[in-house]
Amino acid sequence: MNPFLAVAALVFMVSLMFMLPLVPALVELRRKSDAQPLNVIQQNAGEIRHFATSFRSYIKGLEPAMQRCVAAGTSATGTLPDGEEYVVLGRADEPLVFALQQRDATHPVVMAAGADLTLPPDSTFSRDIYAGGEFQGGEKNNYRAILGEKTVYLGASSRVARWVHAVGEFTAGFCCQLVGRVSSDALIRLHADCSFLRLNAPRIEIGNAHTNTHEAMPRLSLPASIGSETLRRFLHDGDFEIPAGQVISSNFVVRGRLLIRSGARVSGSVKSVKDMVLEDGVAVEGSLISARKIRIGPHCAIHGPVVAERELAIATGTRCGSQEHPTTVSAPRIEVEEGVLVFGTLWAREYGQVVANL
Amino acid sequence: MIYALYIIVLVICVYTGRHYFFTLNRLFAFQRHPYIDIDTADWPPVTVLVAAHNEEKVIANILEALMTVKYPADKMLVIPVNDRSSDRTREIIDKFVEEFPGRIQPFHRVGGKGGKAAALKDAMELVTTEVILIFDADYIPGAGLIKQLVAPFFDLEVGGVMGRVVPMNAGTNLLTRLLDLERSGGYQVDQQARMNLRLVPQHGGTVAGVRLSALREIGGWNENSLTEDTDLTYRLLLNGWKTVYQNRSECYEEVPEVWTVRIKQIMRWAKGHNQAMMTYGFRLLLGKHRATLRERIDGTLLLGVYAMAPVTLVGWALALGVFYQGVAPLHGVIALLSLTAYAALGNLAAFFEIAAAVRLDGTRKRISLLPFLILGFGVSIFSVSRAAVSQVSDLVTGAEFHWDKTERFRKVL
Repeated sequence: MNPFLAVAALVFMVSLMFMLPLVPALVELRRKSDAQPLNVIQQNAGEIRHFATSFRSYIKGLEPAMQRCVAAGTSATGTLPDGEEYVVLGRADEPLVFALQQRDATHPVVMAAGADLTLPPDSTFSRDIYAGGEFQGGEKNNYRAILGEKTVYLGASSRVARWVHAVGEFTAGFCCQLVGRVSSDALIRLHADCSFLRLNAPRIEIGNAHTNTHEAMPRLSLPASIGSETLRRFLHDGDFEIPAGQVISSNFVVRGRLLIRSGARVSGSVKSVKDMVLEDGVAVEGSLISARKIRIGPHCAIHGPVVAERELAIATGTRCGSQEHPTTVSAPRIEVEEGVLVFGTLWAREYGQVVANL
Repeated sequence: MIYALYIIVLVICVYTGRHYFFTLNRLFAFQRHPYIDIDTADWPPVTVLVAAHNEEKVIANILEALMTVKYPADKMLVIPVNDRSSDRTREIIDKFVEEFPGRIQPFHRVGGKGGKAAALKDAMELVTTEVILIFDADYIPGAGLIKQLVAPFFDLEVGGVMGRVVPMNAGTNLLTRLLDLERSGGYQVDQQARMNLRLVPQHGGTVAGVRLSALREIGGWNENSLTEDTDLTYRLLLNGWKTVYQNRSECYEEVPEVWTVRIKQIMRWAKGHNQAMMTYGFRLLLGKHRATLRERIDGTLLLGVYAMAPVTLVGWALALGVFYQGVAPLHGVIALLSLTAYAALGNLAAFFEIAAAVRLDGTRKRISLLPFLILGFGVSIFSVSRAAVSQVSDLVTGAEFHWDKTERFRKVL
């Protein structure tokens, strides 16, 4: 072979091999098939009511049909613009709903009820449900999502896969599994052995959160947690203990374990890098944050956000936030005893459970 | 010569390992987002500083966005820091002030030292709130961003907060697409891994926040710093404050669309970073302060990232020198192994990081542009090295740094 041609062939082959990985790149550069900016959520800010609001808009077109069905006490079926089949119920007629339940096993439909809605037990409703009136679910039911314009009650051992929003009060009977978001504009009440992930309401009662117990607790003043510089920051390396009954006006950062003994009161916020334990009757006017676990004893009062990066346990009689100043209680895993009261958000990222005893 | 090369190879291998460690952590380990769930709270008053120097093309966009965010209006004050602008920036800001009375308080700066840190320092006379958020004028915050950036300040250890930057003009040309990939790698993997591992997430000076009491404790903005964000990160760390990264607090920005602007930008970053390395490097690693051992190590490595470009170039030169010197066979085998590892991993680790980031972002086709990153890598290595050389020469000659504002590419409204 001609040496010149051999060298040329070699250069050509090497160039070809070098260019090979660039072929898909050049194609993409020319076609711009994935050149859009990453999708950043600009408008909805991860709000808990986002799905409920979207669903309300989605079924807005069914309003006239609902009014007609309510007036006539009948039902109607049809197809929504996106092809989903729906059923509109004009009355809470159990045999009718029972027929729907049978149908749902093979052919799920969106259900919209213009009036009160009572669902039978042991049923699966695999499409979203809208209730214009009161919603009463039977025991051991499975739901995908529920939007109730008044109160929503789930029978014992029911399960919700995605979300529930009640304009009125929401109550989950014993042993319910609330896998997605649950919100109410009034009150959420969870009974014993319920599991949950994300709850939001002006008032969240776990089990029988006796109002009188909480009202009798010392009233917290407004926190100076991050709103002002009035409290200095106390930084401590290693473990730390606040003695029983002590009243402290300071913000605390403890780079170890923190133990706050019974009846102590902190006029500020608290952070621990390791585990934090609050004994009974502790009051904290600011936030409570731990990079590990927090265990809050009975009859404590926390004003600001409570965040544990690993686990959180809250004992009976404890109150987080207040009616005027709702807050967030959050951890990957949360165990909460009956008798706890939270104003605002209770958010277990992985697993939340109402337990009889911690 | 060979020993110098070994040291360089060793250092490069450390950085390579760091890239892989961060990427694997981001892919498989527990992800820390401790404050993102705080959606209900007694939200504190907040001041939002918008740094603006000749920003007529973009200032209206950010002010519009800030007026529609979901944060109690009576608790948020926006202060556009108009730093000696000679275009229509002042006029546009004043129009917004009239339209939203009580919600925007302009700070029109007409003289003084140049640079963002100096402007922010002067603007502090208007700030009374404990929480301060900072945006550059080309950013467009979403509705929930302010709450997300404020939430970490409920943690008393937190002195600074950094959100994620996402290019909005990613599809414009090859450069913007490469910068989009680099940003993904830097934030989605690098910053989040540092957050996961409790290392040193870097304050970026925009889409960011700082606690007023922490800022005062460390002596306020350092107007002599070329990169006030890096400077802030290290002063906070040395004084027992943490900077946290919020990967889900995303905000659109505009990235440079021409190479000359990009080169100027990266040269300024490099000089500022190297300045911080000289100022804080030794004290961070060996000094007496509250940073943990892992923060000391990661912080030092982070300070050295821009120094790695000239080090790499020196390594290449040394490798050639060693080759032509015909060093002894034993050394040759080790050198060959090291150089192979360096060539293979030194480049690929960063690429692996970016590829992982793109996958985590859920995009697909843009990954095919990965080979082009070698182009961005080449430009960066020479620009950053040039910055380092010019920095040394400035030190010798006593020349002052000239602040180059990053050019904007949006159309004037």
